[in-house]
Amino acid sequence: MAYEDQDAFHSALAARGVSRRDFLKWCGSTAVMLGLAESLAPQIAAAIEVSAIQPRSPALWVNGGACTGCTESVAQADTPDVATIVLDLLSINYFETIMMAQGEDAESAKRDMIDAGGYTLIFEGTVMTGFDGNTLRVAGKPQIEELPEICEKAAAIIAVGSCAVDGGWVAANPNPAGGIGILQFCKDNNIETPVINLPTCPVNPEWVIAMVIDVLFLGQLESGAILEKLDDFNRPKMIFGQTIHDNCPRRGHFENGEFVYEFGTEEEAKGFCLYAVGCKGPQTFTNCPIVRWNSRAGWCVESGSPCIGCGSANPLKAGGNWVDVNAPFLNRHRDIHVGEWVTQPVVVGAVAGAAAVGALALHGIGMKAAGRMDGGAPYEETKEHDRKKGGGK
Amino acid sequence: MARKVVDPLTRIEGHLRVEVEVDGGEVTDAWVSGSLYRGMETVLKDRRPQDAFYVSQRICGVCPISHGHASTMSAESAMGIQIPEGARLVRNLIEAAQFLHSHILWFYTLAALDYVDPVKALEADIAETYALAQAAGTRVSDFGAVASRLAAFVESGTLSIFTNGWFGHPAYPSEMPPELHLIAVAHYLEALEMQGRAAQIIGIMGGKFPHFMTSVNGGTAFVPTEEKLDDVLYRFTEVAAFVKEAMIPDTLAIAPFYLDALGYGGGTGKFLSWGVFDAPSFQGVDRYLPNGVITSGLTVEDAKSENVVEWIDHSWYKSGNGLNPSQGETVADFTSYDTADRYSWGKSVRYQANGDGTGESTEVGPLARMVVAYVRGVEPVVALIDSTLEALGAAGKPEVLVSLLGRVAARNLETAYVADLALGWVLELVEYIKAGDPQFFQPHDVTDGDGVGMWEAPRGSVAHWMSIKGGRIDRYQVVAPTTWDIAPRDTDGVRGPMEESLVGSPCIDPERPMEVVRIARSFDP
Repeated sequence: MAYEDQDAFHSALAARGVSRRDFLKWCGSTAVMLGLAESLAPQIAAAIEVSAIQPRSPALWVNGGACTGCTESVAQADTPDVATIVLDLLSINYFETIMMAQGEDAESAKRDMIDAGGYTLIFEGTVMTGFDGNTLRVAGKPQIEELPEICEKAAAIIAVGSCAVDGGWVAANPNPAGGIGILQFCKDNNIETPVINLPTCPVNPEWVIAMVIDVLFLGQLESGAILEKLDDFNRPKMIFGQTIHDNCPRRGHFENGEFVYEFGTEEEAKGFCLYAVGCKGPQTFTNCPIVRWNSRAGWCVESGSPCIGCGSANPLKAGGNWVDVNAPFLNRHRDIHVGEWVTQPVVVGAVAGAAAVGALALHGIGMKAAGRMDGGAPYEETKEHDRKKGGGK
Repeated sequence: MARKVVDPLTRIEGHLRVEVEVDGGEVTDAWVSGSLYRGMETVLKDRRPQDAFYVSQRICGVCPISHGHASTMSAESAMGIQIPEGARLVRNLIEAAQFLHSHILWFYTLAALDYVDPVKALEADIAETYALAQAAGTRVSDFGAVASRLAAFVESGTLSIFTNGWFGHPAYPSEMPPELHLIAVAHYLEALEMQGRAAQIIGIMGGKFPHFMTSVNGGTAFVPTEEKLDDVLYRFTEVAAFVKEAMIPDTLAIAPFYLDALGYGGGTGKFLSWGVFDAPSFQGVDRYLPNGVITSGLTVEDAKSENVVEWIDHSWYKSGNGLNPSQGETVADFTSYDTADRYSWGKSVRYQANGDGTGESTEVGPLARMVVAYVRGVEPVVALIDSTLEALGAAGKPEVLVSLLGRVAARNLETAYVADLALGWVLELVEYIKAGDPQFFQPHDVTDGDGVGMWEAPRGSVAHWMSIKGGRIDRYQVVAPTTWDIAPRDTDGVRGPMEESLVGSPCIDPERPMEVVRIARSFDP
């Protein structure tokens, strides 16, 4: 890249109050998010500088049976902000929720992109198959009539949010509207476009940005490197490789057997572990405690709520959605699901100490997945407040 | 006579189809179709009452807080419990943050492009833009930088989300100066940051937004600390400043170019509000935006959940017809899209002013809330509306609010009112905690009961009905805000509120029906 082009890019950033130093810092944190060494920040910076000057990469944002929450979530991103994404980094010529055009003009913008092919498809919401697809009609016909072609001609598909991954709550029993995830839809239609799954409800914008950079700017799709980074459920390992429990700031309280048994109590005010009110942190694989939410303002457990496991996903299994797996959310579960694997705590019953054994076993899985085998705490005797709650050995 | 279809209607939450009949430059009939069915009510059946809060809020990613609160209130009503004072303030604050987020997002990100032509902003003179911003009393931005960014963007030739926009449409008033277009574009970009800032408040108090975690049945799981309240207060202050220094002056600067929009887009002129933002009494009529229904003239009555009725003559369902949601059913049955027969996934929801009959086609949303509050004499609302009417040259004529421009103005004025309220509630919460022994949660152990939670989302009235039997949800019904406004025809063939508001609207270019999309979006569907 010519020096003057780089200069122009940084003047543009400076005009928006972003210094070159800020920009490199952001590239550094993005590198960490992408599972790369922070020392690769200059490489990411160069890739983005080039793409900001060259014609922007085409992307197509399609809403299936969505609540628009994932769009909402991404609209709040500040690293970079959504204006930078849609104006400077990508050319998203179809994006129902924020695009200027409507009706047939919007549809023709989409058609032009499909005909050109080679775009990144960002799919939000559930694929609606009920009543021959009439549970979601767009432009006078079921969305699933056009969807195979949209998927087929994409270079890659990023499924944002649990609905796009496996149907999410829409697919929860009895799945009245016939919701499935986009990976299942591709399999059903013999479409081999690579799918990257980003569960949680809604999706965390930081992950979307990380994947956009991976796919579009670092050329990892062409090199095939992106696929090596995915787990069996097509989720990026660096984001979904560790449990929430692994990185939870309240972990110390878990180890000490200090639990919240009811909201509004002294234990809650002390910020004790929420495992006893049903926290699904031990079985939910996301890096929420590190990346946090809403531009790092907070996250579920910090606000006082147990994790409800909205990042649980099982793209090719009916009933694998986070609602069916994790509800009732405020109860500790006898059956603990980790992907295909189901286990039970050693002692059946609402005893935190016993349930913790199951959780610790799971925690071992998290450790293994993350390549950290030296964690875990020894089993502890039942605490006094467990007994008060009606529990015991 | 020609039919024109806009499908998809973009820049809204979800999927909507608008079909109109145009004759001699005027809309003569309209059909609005909700295009998506997901089956929330069926999914919730047989689950635990505690789970409904988490799942039901996912109906809407733009107003999950309001759905969550309506759900929790329905469970609390079924169980006969009352949340403590601390939880009231926390919930009001989270709800207020969502209102600010949603209204800012609506005005700038979703609706502004119907009134502002970004290409016209390219003709702006930068010095003149600063002068105009000062004269209009609106926030001064780095207009030069915005103009260069815009120019570079247009020169690049790929228009991204602006592809195929109706640039240069004759419905953009030619007398509106390019400088005002540029100011709006600059604030469009700033608003993106501000809506995010408001959402961060929910990130702190609710864990994340969209889809929050803390307003559990019985109160809140959020434990306020000095540090967190400080983080919340600073963000409310910053957002309130944007509303007063940019959003309101922008509205008043642009409105004079759209005064014709005081003359159409009004609709049924009947309004309903369940009320939102609880006062210590927890009574609907005492809410900061009170409960009330107006079905004739300017007489307000208390709005009752038992007077709601849903018709499915023109909807894709085969369950019972004309039921109150407490007895409601949802059995989907797609037939075909036919405006003469069935044409929507939305039910036709009506309010029976006298407790029986087909019921009235009532609009919900900020206009309904502000009119109800105005008629109920809520002082800050009366002051805001009266001063705005005066600024628009319609002093003493509140009836002009029943129009497209009135609907837009009401939403923005409500934003200013809520911003003030929120700042007050933060300080009230601080005082409440300082007084000692603050309470945030009411323990409960009730396994049977019927309840309803009536509340307001930014876009209108939301109610959830829950019946609990043996600790499980036996029946769950939701009447979402947009269900009221996009209702298809009822059993008597009477149009829904949005349909009615479209009829009589001008349509100067039937191929690009700008007035139609403006009216449809003004409901924030």
